[in-house]
Amino acid sequence: MRRTFLIAQREFLENVKTKGFWLGILFFPVILVASAMLPGFIARKATSTRNYVIADFSGRYEAVLVAAINARDRSRIDPTSPQRRRFQQLPLHAEIASGTNVAALEARLRTQLLAGGSNRLFAAFIIPADFGPGRTNAIRYWCANQADTDLRDLVERTLRTDFRRQEYGRLGLDPRVVEQTEALRVPLIDLNPNKAAGTERVGLADQLNQWAPSVFVYLLWVSIFAVSQMLLNSVIEEKSNRLIEVLLSSVTPGQFMMGKLTGIAAVGWVMLASWLGSLFAVAYWQTQGMAAPAGAGSGVGELPRAIVGLLQSSWLLPAFGFYFLCGYVLYAAIFLTIGSLCNTIKEAQNFMGPMMMVLMFPLFLMPFIPRDPNGPLASVVSWIPLYTPFVMMNRVAAHPPLWQVLGTTLVLLGFIALVLWGCGRIFRIAILRTGQPPRVRELLRWLGRSSG
Amino acid sequence: MIAPPPCPALELRAVSKFYGDFPAVRELSFAVPTGCIFGFLGPNGAGKTTSLRMILDILRPTSGTLSVLGSPSVAAVRDRVGYLPEEKGLYKKMRAWSVIAYFATLKGMPAALAKRRAYELLERHGLGQFSEARTEALSKGMSQKVQVLASVAHDPELVILDEPFSGLDPVNQGVLEELVQDLKARGRTVIFSTHVMQHAERLCDRLLVLARGQKCFEGSVDDARRVLTPKVQLTTDHDPAPLRALPEVRRVAATGPGAWEIDLHPGVDPQSVLANCFRLNLPLRSFAVLQPSLHDVFVHLVGPEARQAGR
Repeated sequence: MRRTFLIAQREFLENVKTKGFWLGILFFPVILVASAMLPGFIARKATSTRNYVIADFSGRYEAVLVAAINARDRSRIDPTSPQRRRFQQLPLHAEIASGTNVAALEARLRTQLLAGGSNRLFAAFIIPADFGPGRTNAIRYWCANQADTDLRDLVERTLRTDFRRQEYGRLGLDPRVVEQTEALRVPLIDLNPNKAAGTERVGLADQLNQWAPSVFVYLLWVSIFAVSQMLLNSVIEEKSNRLIEVLLSSVTPGQFMMGKLTGIAAVGWVMLASWLGSLFAVAYWQTQGMAAPAGAGSGVGELPRAIVGLLQSSWLLPAFGFYFLCGYVLYAAIFLTIGSLCNTIKEAQNFMGPMMMVLMFPLFLMPFIPRDPNGPLASVVSWIPLYTPFVMMNRVAAHPPLWQVLGTTLVLLGFIALVLWGCGRIFRIAILRTGQPPRVRELLRWLGRSSG
Repeated sequence: MIAPPPCPALELRAVSKFYGDFPAVRELSFAVPTGCIFGFLGPNGAGKTTSLRMILDILRPTSGTLSVLGSPSVAAVRDRVGYLPEEKGLYKKMRAWSVIAYFATLKGMPAALAKRRAYELLERHGLGQFSEARTEALSKGMSQKVQVLASVAHDPELVILDEPFSGLDPVNQGVLEELVQDLKARGRTVIFSTHVMQHAERLCDRLLVLARGQKCFEGSVDDARRVLTPKVQLTTDHDPAPLRALPEVRRVAATGPGAWEIDLHPGVDPQSVLANCFRLNLPLRSFAVLQPSLHDVFVHLVGPEARQAGR
């Protein structure tokens, strides 16, 4: 036991003492937030100003469109560069005033649309003279870029609204009445029969409770994958550095394997505790901040409160702890065995390909399970032990039937015992072996062998 | 000093190890007395490392029994045994002192004591200034020294060193020889494997020669030398041809101008050659009896097997 502890202690300390480990912990949420915000940021920063012209031969729509485009621009202007606009109208009045016909104008615009430079024309809208609700003449939209349809869509939406208003007027409807009518909302209260009588109303906390398991599954996946990789690298290091023989002169292969599993599990716990602790701390700090201006409780403060409430009272955390442990032991034992079979990371990559495919499957399921957590797909996949930790964690909030919880847990624990037994057998033979990794047939023979 | 126990430090009785049908070690029996330096000699592939791994319970024998420090399995006495494997390595990111201390704690030494001992050993063996260095920053010789120190840091009663001199420069080989002799002086038993006969000749009280998994010889260095008949080296200004006719002489070969080397048949006393020189009136400028070296004995014992294994 003491030797197992010493192996675990070294494994734990050597990992948590590195800067890379803490940087990884810090950067994971940063990367998560960045990946959510980056597309918008890049769109704002990297997209150049779109210059456009409107040739309104009807003389009726240009002002409406420019007002709508400018209004949208104002709401999205980059605060760090106030001069920069998303859409910029270029003047075109002279040509229209001089009575240029559409064909001639388009010929001129075409050259401008294909020209380079910072002031290049992005799009041109040619509004025919006879354009309006019920008319067949269409706006001619010229643009070399068919992928960025933001401006086109905005113009189309604005004109659609304008057409409708014109029609309401033609039909004799009061515009204020129309606005009031359009502002009507359906009153709908979400109620959950699973909740106690009198508290059935579904709030933000309930929605959070419903979707939190998916977040936990993602965390489970990331942490299991990260720590199993650590384990794999560490065993390969010990094997390639020939340390294994010295270690095995001091401890048994079983003690060594358990020590490594325990040490890296502790690393995983630290990783998860750091993330969840930080989330709790930030949310708690937010709720404390909200408490100061009395009565300002709802709205912005509701989410942190719901997170704090969820982390404090829900049984998601204990379930997460249990499924993390099961999932970790299961996958870590497999990764550890892969490490014992290989002498280099390159060799291990051949085994990692199929393992990654197995590990990716729960991620594909993640969007579907919360929508129907007790449906046939979730119920069936829960019984596959390799996926039980992920799928059952995802179902936690939906109160799956007790027999399914107990049954899948028993199957999972039995499977873990089987995997540990098999991995232990292979590990003790493979760990001293050098040269090419064995073939499957050889592995099966090792399973039947009693010792090295 | 530890009072010598009545039983040998190590004893193997008819131990065999098969990998499938291949016999790595066959019916190996020998005993290592407590407090001696025991050489485990043999060519590549002779079964030395397999035997040592069986002694350490890293591998299980296919048949036979063994006793380590009086125990039927090393498992019960692991903490009293130190081991340096043939292929050596260290945790690259750990500091020199912490590697030594870690392996000592795995052998049952309290952490604080192990740390103190690690610094003390590094200081004593000229690596004091590298105590805090990560092992990846050490030279090959320094790393190997650290590994040797890690194998003896817990002050084991039985130390097993597999090819400890390989990769060391002559100076560090000398340092390691001193360390081995120091262990013996403190009553420890040292078993080391090598195929460099000079080390065995200088260090070993007893030795065992292994070839193709089987014991070829066991005894002292002097016993080993007696396996081969000594040679006679003489210098004379005359033709030693009459000596060729003597029944005790096997071969007379010239080794230089006026210098000759005479191989004798087994059991012949070299002094009889001197007597015959006088009898045949062969004037001599010098006469010397050459005791066979361990290298000669080794080549004599395992030469054919080694050549076959090397093919």
